[in-house]
Amino acid sequence: MLRSEKRSLFRFLTIYLSSTFLLFFLAVFIFYTLQKQEILGQQKSELSSKAHTIEQTLRKLHNTFESPLVYPTYVNTNSAIYNLDKEFIFGTFHPQKIQWHKSIYFEKNKLFYLHKLKPYYLGASYLIVTQPINREPLNKLIQNLALFLLMVMSFFTLLAIFLGKLFTAPMKDSIKQMNRFIEDTTHELNTPISTILTNIELLETIYNCQGKQEMGRIQVASQTLSRLYEDLTYLKFSHNYHRELVLLNLSELLKERLEFFSTLIEAKELNLEEKINPNVVLKIDKNDAIRLMDNILSNAIKYNKKRGTLIVSLTPKSLEIQNSGLGIKEENISLIQKRFIRDNQSEGGFGIGLDIIKQVVKRYEFNFTLTSSPNQMTKVTILWEK
Amino acid sequence: MGKITFLLLLFSFTLRADKPFIQVQKNCLTCHTEQKIPSELIYRRYLMQYSTNERIKQQLIPFLKNPTKKTSIMPKQFFLKFPEKKVLDLNETELQESVNAYLDYFDIKKRLKMQ
Repeated sequence: MLRSEKRSLFRFLTIYLSSTFLLFFLAVFIFYTLQKQEILGQQKSELSSKAHTIEQTLRKLHNTFESPLVYPTYVNTNSAIYNLDKEFIFGTFHPQKIQWHKSIYFEKNKLFYLHKLKPYYLGASYLIVTQPINREPLNKLIQNLALFLLMVMSFFTLLAIFLGKLFTAPMKDSIKQMNRFIEDTTHELNTPISTILTNIELLETIYNCQGKQEMGRIQVASQTLSRLYEDLTYLKFSHNYHRELVLLNLSELLKERLEFFSTLIEAKELNLEEKINPNVVLKIDKNDAIRLMDNILSNAIKYNKKRGTLIVSLTPKSLEIQNSGLGIKEENISLIQKRFIRDNQSEGGFGIGLDIIKQVVKRYEFNFTLTSSPNQMTKVTILWEK
Repeated sequence: MGKITFLLLLFSFTLRADKPFIQVQKNCLTCHTEQKIPSELIYRRYLMQYSTNERIKQQLIPFLKNPTKKTSIMPKQFFLKFPEKKVLDLNETELQESVNAYLDYFDIKKRLKMQ
């Protein structure tokens, strides 16, 4: 699955599933609240019934007034009576805190029912009855709702994946077609480019060609095409490509690549400053290192002004390449690191250079920074340390 | 029967033998027993209507100072059988103490028991 496809699918799934789940959670929550009210309502009516029974007993005691007045008691139920000034009279329990303004409330897994009495039998104005909440029906309800949510979530996740794939299919097809086109094009480009470059060398060495300047231009154009071929091949096959991590002498490789770009540098009449520390070694695949250096150098040359400056520094800690180009606006710096996006359209290219650099940087966990502002030196720094 | 009840009440009050109880005995229960006026019934009526001792006192003391059928808590039918209350010859302190003792004697908190 492609990166962009993965991202699109992930975004779609996130939005679709979160909104669906939110809706279901809300519905389930409302349903649970209503059901809970009903279940507790049943328990409340049980308590209310007990309160009425106690009230009848209090009335009987009040009317007979035969000592001792035996207070009614029930298994699993506690009750207490309070006078009009809310002072405790008697009871099977003595709660410290009573919510006088509520007829029913819960506290520490207990259901409390406050029953107002009038007339005040035995002086009791309030009768408070309590019993532990029967959590069994509530637990069963929660279990059923959790099961329902799980089923709904599973169903909608599968549906979302199916829909997501359905929606991204046209995009996937387009990308496949484009990749196939690039693959075919690069394949077809390889042979003629190699032929041109070989024959230029032959013309220069064996036949001592007279048109040096024209030959130089042909060589630059062919090298550009050759690099483009390498980049496209790298992008296409970088995921499956088997990397060979070796201790590579970056100093030598950088000099070699500068030699490769010498025709381009000369063509632009650039002032090259080399600050290459000798024998800088790094464990990296050679092709990755070449793609990294080539793309930074290529951009630094391509977007440099004629007779500008190119500073190349290599230390055991970093690679730093500066050029005196037009510079990049701050808001475009992050944008140009995406594939097929370029800040300056005046030069040729597909806008894949920085994308390749970022891929290599990400693979080896290097630290990449690009600092630039219009008409200032543009600096690309890669720190080897993670 | 009335005499026996009176003697029993007298005995129970005497056991507690303090001044307010003697006053209740002298000022209230003598007449109540002689005229067979059920003091317990009156207390229950007050309790049922006013709930707390403080509230009962607030109603009972003005009534005892100026007893009339109209201000009595008892229904009209009660006075068909029992005579109307006469004004007590007690000063404020004696009246307060007597009422407190009366309420304490019947106090519901002391009478209620757990099974």
